[in-house]
Parts: sequence; C-alpha cells; structure tokens
Amino acid sequence: MGDGPMRDAGIFGAACLCGIASGLFGIGGGTLLVPFLALFFAFGQHRAQGTSLIALIPPTGALAFYAYAKAGYISWHTGFLLIPGVFVGGMLGGWLAKRLQPRRLRQVFAGMMLMLGIWQAASAWAR
Amino acid sequence: MTLIVLLLGLAVGVLVGLLGIGGGVVLVPALVYLLHMDQHLAQGTSLFILLPPVGLGALREYWKQNQVDLRAGILCALGMLVGGYFGGLIAVPLASRNLKGLFGCFLILAAFLLWRKPQPENRTTESTSNGSAHG
Repeated sequence: MGDGPMRDAGIFGAACLCGIASGLFGIGGGTLLVPFLALFFAFGQHRAQGTSLIALIPPTGALAFYAYAKAGYISWHTGFLLIPGVFVGGMLGGWLAKRLQPRRLRQVFAGMMLMLGIWQAASAWAR
Repeated sequence: MTLIVLLLGLAVGVLVGLLGIGGGVVLVPALVYLLHMDQHLAQGTSLFILLPPVGLGALREYWKQNQVDLRAGILCALGMLVGGYFGGLIAVPLASRNLKGLFGCFLILAAFLLWRKPQPENRTTESTSNGSAHG
C-alpha cells in the first residue's frame, strides 16, 4: 500500500468493516482496527493504537448506539458508573504503554482475547 | 455493587490506554459474567460508554509521543460511523445466545490476527524516540 488516495480508500474501507464489527458486537472497533492498520498499512503497534484512539473519539459509535437504544438494550445506570473509571484508567494505560515493549503489549492483548473468546463461545453454545 | 462497577471501569480504562482499544472487548464479557447482563444489554451499554470521549486521556499520551496518524484516524472514524450503524442493525434481531457465541468467535479471530502480526515497528512513519530496542 503506497500513499495517496488508494491508501485513503483502503483505510476507509477497512474502517467500514471495523464499524460493522463495532455495531455487531458493541465494541469500540479498535480491536480490529489496530491489527488492520498494522498488517495492511504498515503502522507500528504504538502508532496503530494511537490512531485507533482518534477513531474512537465520538461520535464514531453514535449510530450503532442508536440502533441498540431504539431496541432498549442499554443499562444507563451501569454505563454512567463506568465512564469515570474508564477515563481515568485510560490516562494510566496510555502512560504505561510508553514504558512497555510493543511486542509484549501485543502478546498480552492477544492472549487475553483468546481466553475471553473461547470462554464466551463455549458458554454460549456448549451444553 | 456500585464499587465493583467503578473498579471495573478503571480496569477497562487502563486497557483502553494500554492497547488503544475502546475497551468494549473486555467490557462486554465483564458485564455478562460479573453483572450477569444479557448479551444485547451488555453490548448496548458498552456502546453507551463509548459515546463520551473516554479515550481522550489515553490519546493525549500517544499524541505527545507523535504516535498518531491524524488523517488515517479521521478516515477510520468516518468508516466506523457508517459501518457501526449496519452492525447494530444486524445484531439487534439476533438471538442473545448466538450473539454471545459470535462475539466469542470474533475475539478468537482478533487474537490470532494480532498474534501473527509481523514487526514493522521501525518503519519510516515510526518515531523511535523512546528507543525501544525490541526483538
């Protein structure tokens, strides 16, 4: 992937895919976006993560949120309680990220997702 | 209960900053297992938390290190805005159990994507100011 409009179009297309995953799974979408940027657009891990954070600035998830809100799938009380912690924790994590090696970061991340994923799929379908 | 939720938020926030993600990947399973939420409710609540700029604190740290591609970031935001709506439309009518299973599969896929990534850390766009001599 070179520079210019092709690269822009590619990034936009990849982001659309991430957006679908974001709406489908109620996540920020960074989970996919970070590896996409790194794999297909030659971003370093830290740069991919920093850029992903830009994409998470509102109102990125607003339309997905709207689809869930219309169906009544929001717990407002829990949501409001979580927000301050996520914000403060976010600063802490950003500070920590500078002090860790990219590869280690990625492996911890991947290992965690693998375990969570197996747990989720098993508890949904096994029995 | 309230304390658990507050602490959960903090823990998720650390991951947001550390990994550059929205936190939903961790938050959704946490809501399902710790607070016994239904899968749809957990996902909707997770999207609600992403509405305010929770990642701004983390972004500031990356920005200071010159680790942000603003142009790509804006393109990604636009794409995700559009895609997110369609994803939401797909998810809402799905059975909760299937959605939960799909979420699990998605996590496994994402984990592999991340694990097998090569190491382009020292490309031209990369600021090596922190001199992380990895590998």
